[in-house]
Amino acid sequence: MAGYTREVARRIFAQEFRESNLTFKDGNDQYSPQYLFTPTGAKVNRMFIVGTLTEKEDIGSDSEYWRGRVSDPTGSFFIYAGQYQPEAAQVLSECDTPEFVAIVGKPSTYTTPEGEIRTSIRPESMYIVDGETRNLWVLDTARVTLERLKVLSGSHPDALRAKEHYRTDTKHYSSMVLKALRSLQEEY
Amino acid sequence: MNAMVTEIKNKFQELGVDIPAEKIEERLEKLIVKFKVPQEEAKRSVVNFFRKEYNISKDQFYGGQGETSFVKVADISEDGKWVNLKGKVVQLWDNAHGSISQVGLLADETGNIKFISWAVAEMPVVEEGRTYIFKNVVCSEWNGKMEVTLNKSSSIEEIPDDIHVQSRTQGIASLVKVAEISDDGTWVDLKGKIVQLWDNTNESISQVGLIGDETATIKFIKWARAEIPVELIEGKNYLFRNAVTSEWNGKLEITLNKTSSIEEIPDEIEVSTRDAVLTAAMVDIQSGSGLIKRCPQCNRSLTKGACAEHGKVDGVYDLRLKAVLDTGTIAQDILLKREVTEEISGISLEGAIAMAADALDQGVVLEAMKQKLVGKYYTVSGPRIDRYILVESIKQESTLDPELLAELINEAEVF
Repeated sequence: MAGYTREVARRIFAQEFRESNLTFKDGNDQYSPQYLFTPTGAKVNRMFIVGTLTEKEDIGSDSEYWRGRVSDPTGSFFIYAGQYQPEAAQVLSECDTPEFVAIVGKPSTYTTPEGEIRTSIRPESMYIVDGETRNLWVLDTARVTLERLKVLSGSHPDALRAKEHYRTDTKHYSSMVLKALRSLQEEY
Repeated sequence: MNAMVTEIKNKFQELGVDIPAEKIEERLEKLIVKFKVPQEEAKRSVVNFFRKEYNISKDQFYGGQGETSFVKVADISEDGKWVNLKGKVVQLWDNAHGSISQVGLLADETGNIKFISWAVAEMPVVEEGRTYIFKNVVCSEWNGKMEVTLNKSSSIEEIPDDIHVQSRTQGIASLVKVAEISDDGTWVDLKGKIVQLWDNTNESISQVGLIGDETATIKFIKWARAEIPVELIEGKNYLFRNAVTSEWNGKLEITLNKTSSIEEIPDEIEVSTRDAVLTAAMVDIQSGSGLIKRCPQCNRSLTKGACAEHGKVDGVYDLRLKAVLDTGTIAQDILLKREVTEEISGISLEGAIAMAADALDQGVVLEAMKQKLVGKYYTVSGPRIDRYILVESIKQESTLDPELLAELINEAEVF
């Protein structure tokens, strides 16, 4: 009965995003939203990242299909934008690298022939931002990741699910957060 | 699908049958993936397959103990349990869903509970104030509250007994503050001031608008068929009795129906003007933002040069932003009027008009604002109105809070 509510844009570090491999649908029909479930228990249907666009390449054959690599303090995100992501494809075709970018997008997964699951982002929108915004994002993402880690020690259904699927090592992710935070500290 | 496999496996395990998860999954996957059977149907089919194989009756599987037993309303607590119930229909609610035949409130000596009679169940129609025996109804939980639903295998039988239930006015609705309203389908009494009355073109609605008290505001609908003689006036204070909360498009509202009443009260209610303050990233600016035209008569924004009320009019230019701020845990709609929009975007109304004239396209203003604003962090404050924060002040965040940084580092170190 609940009507349409906008999916919240989750904050995930690149390392955690790369280590995610569980997707599920919340509901039974074709319109049910698809989620990526991460090792710290984030349910991601939409995400917001700010990082450095380090590489871009048009890998399309007939029409433009852009692949970009966006790095944060813990690793890199891959983004793919083609004709159905016109805003992002345009930014990618016009911008230079490196550049700070903010991206709102949907997580997507691909299973390799070897059975490995690769995550990437399909951007809904992409904007060029500044270094301050990038730092604020790192702080923001560190904060919410720590919050998820706290929840993980309890018996919240998402926590149980994360622990069951990933056998999440909290130390692994708290040191990832620490690494990201220390990188901010170094600038001061 | 894993969740489904586990659910099926657990259910059979409760009945003493251990089915390997792989066997369940294999069958489920085959149905869903290869034969394109809808998930619920596939699940049902898998359950039936194994029920037959292990010779478990439907009652055993679904009902738990075979024969359903009589319960009192207050004892209903288990989701999915089948029960029999003797109760009086104390209220029938207005129902706009085609899939629902009747919905309302049942009561016995111990309490009351919402019931839903699905149209597909083809149950006989019940009447308010009469007592019935309901057999084979299913208890279910919805938004944290229990309700009972009638299905094809249920039955309804009217009985002459008049069971004593708590009286409607004291027993069911309780006096609440607007901010306390959080559930769909609860009965409430509410004291508030009519903040706004909205234009209403829907014949089935008598009046619609916003009522508020010192905690918050909420939309209300007075249905025409409720035939409530009181005509609400903006700025006056009223007591709504027996209004029902409901959820519409993800937002709560209250509705007044036949059993509701309204009285004007002498109290002067101070409506909440508490400002919301929020710091978050702007993740979207929505269409209808930037340079827009408004109807000179009613100030509504025009769509393709036409006003919803007054048709094609010569519009007046204005600037506004409808944006989404996202904290990572909530997505909040915000609304910026002209002054605030000019201030944060650095584009004045005159500048915007010139930009649009240059490009022969109003859209360039919105695009420029997006480029400048989206993806960055802001702190906004202003009153909450409906689902929006009406932004009175906005500031871009650009410096890291060193205290927060130090605090988070400490926290991360001790994990």
